[in-house]
Amino acid sequence: MDISSLIDSLHPLEVKVLSTFGGDRSAILQTEQLVQSTGLEPSQLSMAVEWLLAKSLLAVDTETATPIVSLTKLGELYFEKYSPIERVLSVARDAGKTGKRLTIQDVQSREGLEPTEVSGAIGKLKKEGALLIIQGGCIESTGRPSQTAEAMRGLLQQLHGAPRELRAFSESQRQIIQDHAVKRGNAREPFRIDDRVTRALKLSESGVEATQQLSRQKALEEVSQLTPELLKDGNWKTKRFRKYTISLRAPRIAPGKRHPYREFLDTVKTKLVSMGFQEMRGSLVETEFWNMDALFMPQFHPARDIHDVYFVKEPAHASSIEEPFLSQVAQAHRNGGETGSTGWNYPFDAERARRLVLRSQGTAVSAHTLATQPAVPGKYFSIARCFRYDQVDATHATDFFQVEGIVLGEDINFRTLLGLLNLFAREVAQAKEVKFLPAYFPFTEPSVELHVRHPKLGWMELGGAGLFRSEVTLPLGVTVPVIAWGLGLDRMAMVALGIHDIRELFTDNLDLIRSTKGAF
Amino acid sequence: MPTITIFKQDLEGLLVGPGEMSQPITIEQLEESLMLVKGELKGQNLDTGELRIELQDSNRPDLWCCEGIARQIRVKRQGSLPKYDFLTIKSQSPKRLNVAPGMETVRPYVAACAATGYVVTQEGLAQLIQTQEKLAEMFGRKRRTVSIGIYRLAAIEFPVTYDLVRPDDVSFTPLGMDTVMTLGEMLLVHPKGLEFGGILAGHDRLPFLCDAKRQALSFPPIINSREAGEVRVGDDALFVEVTGTDLSMVVLTLNIFATNLADRGAAIEPIEVRYPYKTSLGMSVMTPQDLLRSQKLPVRTIEQALGQTLGAQEVAKALMAYGYDVAVKGKQIAVTLPFYRQDLMHAMDVVEDVAISRGYGEFLPVMPSQFTVGGLSRIEEVSDRVRALMVGMGFQEIISNILSSPQSLRDAMRLGATEWGKLVEVDNVMSQNFSALRQWMLPSLLRVEAASNRAFYPHRTFEAGEVARYDLTQPQGSRTVMVLGGMIAHADAHFSEAHSCLDTLFYYVNHTYSLEPIQHPSFLAGRVGSIVSRGKQVGVIGELHPEVLERWQIGVPAVAFELDLTELAE
Repeated sequence: MDISSLIDSLHPLEVKVLSTFGGDRSAILQTEQLVQSTGLEPSQLSMAVEWLLAKSLLAVDTETATPIVSLTKLGELYFEKYSPIERVLSVARDAGKTGKRLTIQDVQSREGLEPTEVSGAIGKLKKEGALLIIQGGCIESTGRPSQTAEAMRGLLQQLHGAPRELRAFSESQRQIIQDHAVKRGNAREPFRIDDRVTRALKLSESGVEATQQLSRQKALEEVSQLTPELLKDGNWKTKRFRKYTISLRAPRIAPGKRHPYREFLDTVKTKLVSMGFQEMRGSLVETEFWNMDALFMPQFHPARDIHDVYFVKEPAHASSIEEPFLSQVAQAHRNGGETGSTGWNYPFDAERARRLVLRSQGTAVSAHTLATQPAVPGKYFSIARCFRYDQVDATHATDFFQVEGIVLGEDINFRTLLGLLNLFAREVAQAKEVKFLPAYFPFTEPSVELHVRHPKLGWMELGGAGLFRSEVTLPLGVTVPVIAWGLGLDRMAMVALGIHDIRELFTDNLDLIRSTKGAF
Repeated sequence: MPTITIFKQDLEGLLVGPGEMSQPITIEQLEESLMLVKGELKGQNLDTGELRIELQDSNRPDLWCCEGIARQIRVKRQGSLPKYDFLTIKSQSPKRLNVAPGMETVRPYVAACAATGYVVTQEGLAQLIQTQEKLAEMFGRKRRTVSIGIYRLAAIEFPVTYDLVRPDDVSFTPLGMDTVMTLGEMLLVHPKGLEFGGILAGHDRLPFLCDAKRQALSFPPIINSREAGEVRVGDDALFVEVTGTDLSMVVLTLNIFATNLADRGAAIEPIEVRYPYKTSLGMSVMTPQDLLRSQKLPVRTIEQALGQTLGAQEVAKALMAYGYDVAVKGKQIAVTLPFYRQDLMHAMDVVEDVAISRGYGEFLPVMPSQFTVGGLSRIEEVSDRVRALMVGMGFQEIISNILSSPQSLRDAMRLGATEWGKLVEVDNVMSQNFSALRQWMLPSLLRVEAASNRAFYPHRTFEAGEVARYDLTQPQGSRTVMVLGGMIAHADAHFSEAHSCLDTLFYYVNHTYSLEPIQHPSFLAGRVGSIVSRGKQVGVIGELHPEVLERWQIGVPAVAFELDLTELAE
């Protein structure tokens, strides 16, 4: 890191410490001096000094350790309530005045002292000749003074709330302090001796450089925002811009965004267009004629039941059905008409054909396209909203998108049908392995189910297709073979969106919509 | 598409002839073989050997049973269908079934046969009942066109009469009951009478099947007699009858039962049905009977449709192995469906059977080679453009159901009896929540707003999509219109925010517009305008009425606009 970027990264505390040296490479300052001249708390100072040492802007000139004596919590307690040695001597002297005999146990219980405290104090007093132990384990004052007991009081008073250097004490005091200082294995002592490390610090070479740069910067005023005025009058050159902490979490925004499911469908749409398909559109409300009759589903077909399709309340019937389609389709149902078919052999009900329903299959859109002179060769698709009379649950929606379409051409046959499905497998599901299974749809023959090995989902049904029956194409005026195909993409969409319930495709939860990444 | 339950061991037994050693079939082999019948294994119980199979083809009722599935697989293995002698035997004095005069207006057709020598097993009985139910339900349109009765033959004295009687004339104990009751009482009391009685509505005389001693067999298509009509495990002689309204469906259904029982080892004895009126098969009809569904077609037709040259012999081989009877005459081929099928309507039906018999995997896929230009519809292009603009202006796109409720679409929007409140409603409502098509977009946006008071503000949402406008000038009574709805909701939402967005949209789709003050119950008076472009009203913009917000339980102000994209696209 070069010096200027090092400077940019400096904390205000570090800047303060560095400035104290005034750019003087010969200045050597003690930490105490730094505390005074910066006015920082010792903890802040030592933090800043450690950082600067780590960045090699400061160097240690000399380092000295000074032993400092202070009172422990116990020491402060002794200051208030006297130490065991003082208290033992005092009770022994009182007993001597009254002539009472005093056992060690008496001392212990009267003063509320620990046995170790009492035995330690008695041992010391006996050694110094201030006490005697007489027959029966009683103690007796000799009347002589105890050096330790007297010195203890003085030390407690001197050190109460004010640590001092050890060397400020006399030889004998130092001895007592050291005897009664906390050590490993003996924490119950009144004194503590700590080494206070005093460093004499100086600037390193880069420190000198940094200090000089800092002092030059000092002249610049700090601002928080670049303004048009600053740019206009050029004054930005004399400003310093406050540095930001860029590692903070960014504030959240809600971007404008496509719906993830719509995004998925847009991708499908784009793929189909890229494969040469032209989009078709249709109507949400359809006649039974276009929704089913035109697709050669007999009027008694179970899928036309009241439990499978939504019927429109009012008006219940369309005013008319386009001719010649109505007559030609009716004929195909009755006896096949011109289609080479036997037909379904039942009385076709033209009234029923006009009954209005909510479009139940996207193939209705294809039927309309067939009837409006489509291009040959031609490829068409629609992404059509369809409606089914289903109980809504995790896998059934009441309205949903169907992706489907048709391909018309002289070259259309069973093998080109399989070729088209292969293309869908590769382009839409990125699948290399496919299986073609025989299937049944009322309007195609032969019919195929396309199963693919999806890279994430394994084997799945991707769609259904077939060649439109002549009973469908001829009455609508189309004489070339036609592929009808449909893709079931909801499962792929749900995987792409990371959801398990089909109802979530149309969720009303804005948070969920905003946070879904979507993928394809 | 029926789903049936069969037993693996039963299937294995049927894959070979009666009395022959069966071979176990693996699940993989089964799944492969199910392609022949458009079947899919939906579930299996390894302990009981129970298999659940869904059959796709609604025109192949012969496949909706264990016998039919086994037969199709067996024919493929053996290369052709064996002869069933009951179709050809001529008996001097066959058992007879007489039809009563007047039946032609009630339930005109009946077919029947006797089956002896097969001892009914537990599994066989279960299949018999299941087949009876599935065929009557799905092929017979809930017994309306076809219903089936099976009886113990031993109790029956021939000739049987398919009679017409008054509801109170005869009585017997029906299946599922302990007491004797009249036909009229059965219609009123018996569960099957209640379920299927509608089929006979309007007739003062009812069908009644009885034997030579006037012993009751059944009340078709409602219920069998408990006495003669309760088949049990161990019975070895059965009588099967089918009644209905379509003679070929009735005969086909009997053919399926006769074949199924023959496949289990029964000897089938045909029965002569005598009508007092003409039928398409005459006044005396032997059943079962091969109705000879046949067709002549050029081999070239099949090859063209499949996109593959096969030659007449290969085509013939494939069809024989699928049960057809085939005769090759030069470049023509004459095919006849097996007698348990009737689904030959068009040459393409034969084409598919050739493909299935050979296996779809035998056909090499070929890409369609002709060039076509892809593209989007004009309305989709306009929609995509405004969607991109809305995203650019910071709106989150949503998608909603088009089916909604009149409460949301009209009542909560204060649209009551106004023109704006006219809806395309559903007749057969399942749930009020899905009973009307949305006529405008704002309720869809309010639905999201109402559910999202915890999502941080501001909320800017839009949806471009279809709505249905009630319009009696249209043949279908409504128009499908693509609209764009946009909404802004936050504590300080203001009319001008929505206005700016609308203004921007119009600029970039290169149209001009003006706002004209209108009265609209969904918006605050004086803060709502009709969007007018090229002299037409193409939308509305305004600040939503507090009562609307209250109805949706939305706690912040909202401004919104809605634009008719179909108009803009023109």
